[in-house]
Amino acid sequence: MRTIVLDNEAVQALSDSTHTKHRTVVAHLAGAVARRRRGTVVDTVVPTTVRVEAGWDRSTPSAAAINRFRLRDHVLDATAANVAASIQSRCGLGPAGAHIGATVQSVSSGDVVVLTTDPSDIAVVCTPSTPQIVRI
Amino acid sequence: MDDHAALDELNRLLDADDAETVNTSMRLSVSLRDAAALAVEHFSAASSATTMAAAALRQSLETLAMETALQLHYREHPDAQPSLAEIAHALAVQDGSPLAERPDLLAAAASAVVERHPDADADDVLLWAEAQLAVSA
Repeated sequence: MRTIVLDNEAVQALSDSTHTKHRTVVAHLAGAVARRRRGTVVDTVVPTTVRVEAGWDRSTPSAAAINRFRLRDHVLDATAANVAASIQSRCGLGPAGAHIGATVQSVSSGDVVVLTTDPSDIAVVCTPSTPQIVRI
Repeated sequence: MDDHAALDELNRLLDADDAETVNTSMRLSVSLRDAAALAVEHFSAASSATTMAAAALRQSLETLAMETALQLHYREHPDAQPSLAEIAHALAVQDGSPLAERPDLLAAAASAVVERHPDADADDVLLWAEAQLAVSA
């Protein structure tokens, strides 16, 4: 099993077809679909705090296109909030980054990939987990 | 219902928080049913044959939805469609493969493999490129 987590910039790139990194992020999703066709379970995830930062409101008509890609929400529930708060206290890199760290730590099996423009910050918030950090 | 509306409805149904179940009239061959029962009983493949069938159906439908979303997106934005080599490169990066550093090799592999296997996917390209690397080493 693989879980692919998107950060704010990855979401921005995916939601805007004119974004310079749009095609790159689409290629990662297409790769995920190719693996799923081969029977591998690949989950694509966006932490809800990242959605806040990216201004992605699923209920608006303008979000219809990105909603169709089936990026699952990782919800900042009470448990995740505790983990994210601890990460935020340790790293001071902002709620969205802390939530990405909490999301990565919540994945109990398989490998984790994070698509990001800021690999160094992602490595910090994910510690002690060691996801595959992909610079887009 | 157009393709977008059908996809939106498919996604709505897949995402529904729905605990209600239904007995279906789906017909399976006896041997397939027995194979599932055997897999559950002897290989702990799932908690039940029903769970196993539902999980497989969900995986298949979710994959179809994601693939359809990409195809509809490519139809509207042809420039957004990555090449086979670009998809293979994305997978190489995700895998942490040394091939991630060889986009030239992946591009050549994509061209070569599609010539012989028009339906090749990105993993076929990765395998082809890895074989080329092994031969040349």
